[in-house]
Amino acid sequence: MLEARELTKSYASVPAVQDVNFSLAPGQVLGCLGPNGSGKSTTVKMLTGLLEPTRGKVLFNGEDIHKDLVGFRKCLGYVPEEPNLYPYLSGREYLELVGTLRGMPRSSLERKIDALLDLFSLHAHRHASIASYSKGMRQRILLIAALMDDPKLLVFDEPLSGLDVTTALVLKNLIKALGQQGKAVFYCSHVLEVVEQVCSHLLILRKGAVLACDTAEAIHSGIEQSSLETTFMHLVEEVDADKITRDIISAMEAA
Amino acid sequence: MTSALLHTARRKWDAHSQRPFTRLVRLFVGRVFHGSGESAEGELDLSLGLVLSLLALPGGFYSILLLDKYSTLLQWMRGQHDFDPLAAALPDEYFFIVLSMTVTGVVAVWRWDSIFPDRRDYANLVPLPIPMRAIFLANLAAILFLTLVLALDVNAASSVLFPFVVSASQNTFTLFAQVLWVHAFVVMLASIFSFFAVFVTVGLLMVTLPYAAFRRLSLYLRGTIIACLAALLATSFAVPSMLRQLPGTSARFLPPVWFLGLCQLIRGRASPPLASLGHVALIGSAAVLVAAVVTYALSYRRCFVRIPETTETIPAYGRANLLWIFPVLDRTMLTSPFQRAGYRFVMKTLLRSERHGLVLGGFFGLGIVMASQFLFASFNGTQIEAGNLPSAEVVAIPLILSYCIIFGMRFVFDIPTEMRANWVFRLSLDKTRHECIPLARKLILTFVFPWVVAIVLPLYGYRWGWRVGILHAVVVTLWSLCLADLLLLRFRKVPFTCSYPPFRDSAVVLALFCVLGFFVFVVLTSKLERWGLSNPIVMTSLLVIMFSSWYGLSRIHQGIEGIDNELIFEESSPASFELLDLGRGT
Repeated sequence: MLEARELTKSYASVPAVQDVNFSLAPGQVLGCLGPNGSGKSTTVKMLTGLLEPTRGKVLFNGEDIHKDLVGFRKCLGYVPEEPNLYPYLSGREYLELVGTLRGMPRSSLERKIDALLDLFSLHAHRHASIASYSKGMRQRILLIAALMDDPKLLVFDEPLSGLDVTTALVLKNLIKALGQQGKAVFYCSHVLEVVEQVCSHLLILRKGAVLACDTAEAIHSGIEQSSLETTFMHLVEEVDADKITRDIISAMEAA
Repeated sequence: MTSALLHTARRKWDAHSQRPFTRLVRLFVGRVFHGSGESAEGELDLSLGLVLSLLALPGGFYSILLLDKYSTLLQWMRGQHDFDPLAAALPDEYFFIVLSMTVTGVVAVWRWDSIFPDRRDYANLVPLPIPMRAIFLANLAAILFLTLVLALDVNAASSVLFPFVVSASQNTFTLFAQVLWVHAFVVMLASIFSFFAVFVTVGLLMVTLPYAAFRRLSLYLRGTIIACLAALLATSFAVPSMLRQLPGTSARFLPPVWFLGLCQLIRGRASPPLASLGHVALIGSAAVLVAAVVTYALSYRRCFVRIPETTETIPAYGRANLLWIFPVLDRTMLTSPFQRAGYRFVMKTLLRSERHGLVLGGFFGLGIVMASQFLFASFNGTQIEAGNLPSAEVVAIPLILSYCIIFGMRFVFDIPTEMRANWVFRLSLDKTRHECIPLARKLILTFVFPWVVAIVLPLYGYRWGWRVGILHAVVVTLWSLCLADLLLLRFRKVPFTCSYPPFRDSAVVLALFCVLGFFVFVVLTSKLERWGLSNPIVMTSLLVIMFSSWYGLSRIHQGIEGIDNELIFEESSPASFELLDLGRGT
């Protein structure tokens, strides 16, 4: 369904992402991992068509997404990293705006909005302005906006940010269920435990390049590590976490 | 039948308004009114109706003031038997053109950030299945719609009232209709010209400068544009008399003069040079409109489309060359850690927050306008000096500036910046032991004392002798201290960290207080001081009164210490009624 071919993005000739290759089939949940500055956000932006690659291409059903961006985005649900919403609109108004712009029929739009607001525990706050929403509420609005048109491809960038335990649990189950339903899900996160629970496949990035891309089991067995955390540390981090911890405490205690 | 038609029309409008393009246009129009700030809770709570009424107010108010000039009874009493209302209306027409351009220009500057689609629009709209050109066209349509609404609103009251006032003496509908359409057409065109001129300026800067440089220059440029508009307004009473010297006078370069030329051209009363300026107005308007569309298209392509490639963070403003000031102030003026931290926080906010800078700049601009009016009056009235002493108008100038700055500072302190960030003050300050008043006083005086010492003292001393210079500097400083202390009574918040006070509940009282204060602080004081400069007993009495007032206010500050002294972060509006709960305890 979605395929990245030699995806490269450079800013002023400095490469942020270099030769990233992977494919995401229907029913797969691909978790994208990497430390800060590894190129995750740039990759997500290129996958959603927000950023044009310097080299390489993103294919959706075998077609370059930039050939028909509007058609591609009709099939895409995207939850960005920052809940950057219009604060003066109410939650319901925002969802109506998104639904209208996605070309959803009015009758089903209103029904879906009400149902999803209710399911995400926002129905009581639907007429309050987004300015008064907490970070978690804004995040839930973004999730509803991404899900309500029933897209084939879902791209989540840190979707659990700010969510309470219950909603986070629901969302984790939902992502797995969406995968089982045949949706393709690209899941970008720092939280290793969640990625481990939710994703069937892993893409690990470091300094803009792909370190590993396979099923979670294959990656674990390949480097003989038992958990994702140790796998991640083995592949990505070149730092001694214990030493840094000791140094921080020393710095705190210094006169 | 009618209800069926209305129902059909309503259904069609509903269907039309739900089209993606119309919805986008509505979104962009709404965004301009609501602002593009991160948090709407930080925005001043002004309803759309109130904003539109406020914008229409100056034109309507000035039209009513002109009733006296065009009154037939007063003309008869003055012996003006051959009164030509259209000839008499020329300076007023010029003023209306300037007013319309100024108000529209100020609105364009005020809503500068909301005119162009920004990062949030990109994040919300671009991932949706709508073509980029639809976003471009919808925002362009919203801008054009808003310009028309603004031009109509700003000039609506004057377009009806002014022709009515001018034609009242003639009692002919033809004259009323003729004055009305020409006036309405010209002032609205002037408004549109002004809006798009600001728009072109922003667009050109966005196209030519890197984003960070544009953001850094933006505040200064906005201040410059407001100062230019204020200068146009301040000189509007002088320019019409220069028109006789056309084309030899530099007034021909002023856009309002072009529109006055257009007005006279349509009425068939333009002299040849004025008529040619009228053509310039038409060509200029068309050129500005085309330039606006072109710069918008270029800036859209250069800035909006490339948003994901640009960094969101704007580098902090470099003030390394001024950093030595803070240690000096720490040793001399800022006596506690609270004052040191608060002073730095407020100064940096004033220098970096566009909203605060603009509001304070607006007050300062108002001060400049009023000061120039006083200077203008002193040049055209009696004399700039009487004997070897300055006239009362000249004495008043530093007082006007000081009054506007102090009021502006006090007003700006009430405007919050990012309310969600005030937890750091909530967490780290002792609510009952704070030094908000000394901090605010020192901040206010930072904006008054330096220019009094560096400009007022040497300027007045050089021109009228050192005795006058020193006395005037002392009077301005003392009176400023008194005003600052008066405005800071029961002040118990760290500037910018508290929610808005209920302005709407007390707006009328505040406005009356401002006007009365101006009369006492500027008009009365300048006359008394002018008298005091030639009479030592009066000057001594004046200084004694000022010292006493200052001392009295200090005592009041000490007296109310401990009463309602707790630091606040939320302004609560007084309840409409309160239950006395007399039954409790019985």
